Amino acid sequence: MTIFGPLGPSLASSIKANRGIYKWVKPFADWYAGVAGYRKIGLRYDDLLVEERPDVQRALGRLTDREAYDRAFRFKRASQASIVHDDLPKAQWTPVAEDKRYLKPHVLNVVAEDEERRVWDTIAVQRKK
Amino acid sequence: MLAARTSASRATRAVRHFATAVDAAGVKVAAADNGEATSTVTFLVKAGSRYQNKPGVAHALTNFAFKSTGKRSGLATIREAELYGGVLSSSLSREHLALTAEFLRGDESYFVDVLSSFVTDAKFTRHELQEYVAPVCAAEAAAAASNPAARALELAHVLAFRNGLGAPLLSAEHDPVDVEAIKEYASTVFSKGNIAVLGTGISQEALTSLLEKSLNTLSASGAPSASASRYFGGETRVEGHGGPETVFIGFGTTGAPAAELAVLTAHLSTKPSIKWSQGLSPIAASLPAGATVEAVLLPYSDAALFGLLVQGATAEAVKAAGTAAVKALKDAANVKEEDLKRAVAKAKFFAASATDGKAGQVAVVGSKVLSGAQPSLDEALSAFEKVNASAVSNAVSSLLKAKPTYVAVGDIKTLPYADELGL
Repeated sequence: MTIFGPLGPSLASSIKANRGIYKWVKPFADWYAGVAGYRKIGLRYDDLLVEERPDVQRALGRLTDREAYDRAFRFKRASQASIVHDDLPKAQWTPVAEDKRYLKPHVLNVVAEDEERRVWDTIAVQRKK
Repeated sequence: MLAARTSASRATRAVRHFATAVDAAGVKVAAADNGEATSTVTFLVKAGSRYQNKPGVAHALTNFAFKSTGKRSGLATIREAELYGGVLSSSLSREHLALTAEFLRGDESYFVDVLSSFVTDAKFTRHELQEYVAPVCAAEAAAAASNPAARALELAHVLAFRNGLGAPLLSAEHDPVDVEAIKEYASTVFSKGNIAVLGTGISQEALTSLLEKSLNTLSASGAPSASASRYFGGETRVEGHGGPETVFIGFGTTGAPAAELAVLTAHLSTKPSIKWSQGLSPIAASLPAGATVEAVLLPYSDAALFGLLVQGATAEAVKAAGTAAVKALKDAANVKEEDLKRAVAKAKFFAASATDGKAGQVAVVGSKVLSGAQPSLDEALSAFEKVNASAVSNAVSSLLKAKPTYVAVGDIKTLPYADELGL
């Protein structure tokens, strides 16, 4: 996964760019997100992101206090669901409207910053002619 | 030979003058080009702790300088400045926030752009506050809190002026600052008429034309105004450990700071003119070993805090030194003519040598330019000529008439009270 960056491989941007393919893929994607089961234990998609890497850790530090608290709460609830080998009651499932990418923008910012630092670290400076 | 030398010295004097301040894109610009190898551009903003609407905002804004703007990220600012070989710095006083760039001649267009883009287009992101700005603010505040002299002066300002100049200079942990407050403060202080741009080693025309290009988006919103300072005075004692026992005996005046106070400071100053000597200060002779007395004058635009900072290893030493200092201050009302001459010469020398450096020039000229007066370095020196014995004795008696500002930091069980020092 590392070679694709912290968010993993994704064709989403090119699929979204093509309206025909998007219309064909969207129902399948919605079905897959439901069947994956993370919503049934109260998680959001960004909770599944691999967090054991420095860039995602830095992005996690940029969440607001409220977002960080909610994330910890979701993990606790999901662990409990795992212990009892059952899904949460349906009322506590994550609604589709709430399944937002709350962490992705921060991760992308961190990746852009790391890339900028790499560019500056390896830059070759030429004297102005 | 003599004639040549005179004309040469006159020529350098003529160049030393800052050009008449002009308006460019709503800011006042003053520059002096003395042919130095490096140039300095300072944006002096009326954004010191005095004007803040929330404690600590001015300090956070100072440390936010040169972080991400719409034009370049914080990292790019640092790396590009390094490639140009320039130095960027920001500093905060109770009245002014100074953003300074020092650089080699010829790089002015880049560095003026860096300063302008912070003023007009800073992003103030929450993660930069958390990751870079807040830790620096906390470290600076912790360093000041562990320095008894800094603590005593901070408390003295609170007692002397309460609001305005008494507002805390640094941010504190118990007053967290959020990014919205900083954004709002920046949008009010970075406005037309609230900024003066001072350049050394750069011609006024070059600086003006660069600023007209880069500052044209500066907002014209109303800058925060501060009510005129009033002096109150009072006494406080604060427990402290790990540093010398400290007592600050302060006196405040309102109105523009007078030259007499600078002369009085020079008269009482125990700093010798020759290394390893005791100096001729009236306090120096009666100081116990290990105790120090420092005459402090903190001038502001409409007030001044004059005081004696007494430090020593034990409370007894502080008491003896403090008593001697208060006695010397009272005796200064009947200062001898030759002592006065010496003090005037010393004060004048310190003022003149301060304006030899670029930072000193900016400090002297900047506040003048911001208040709308014409910049002049010589005016500050000529005021000392008019100081005579009666003016000094009037100044001393009016200082002593008001309630003193007395701060004790250290072992408060044994440190003296104000009345025990003869106040």
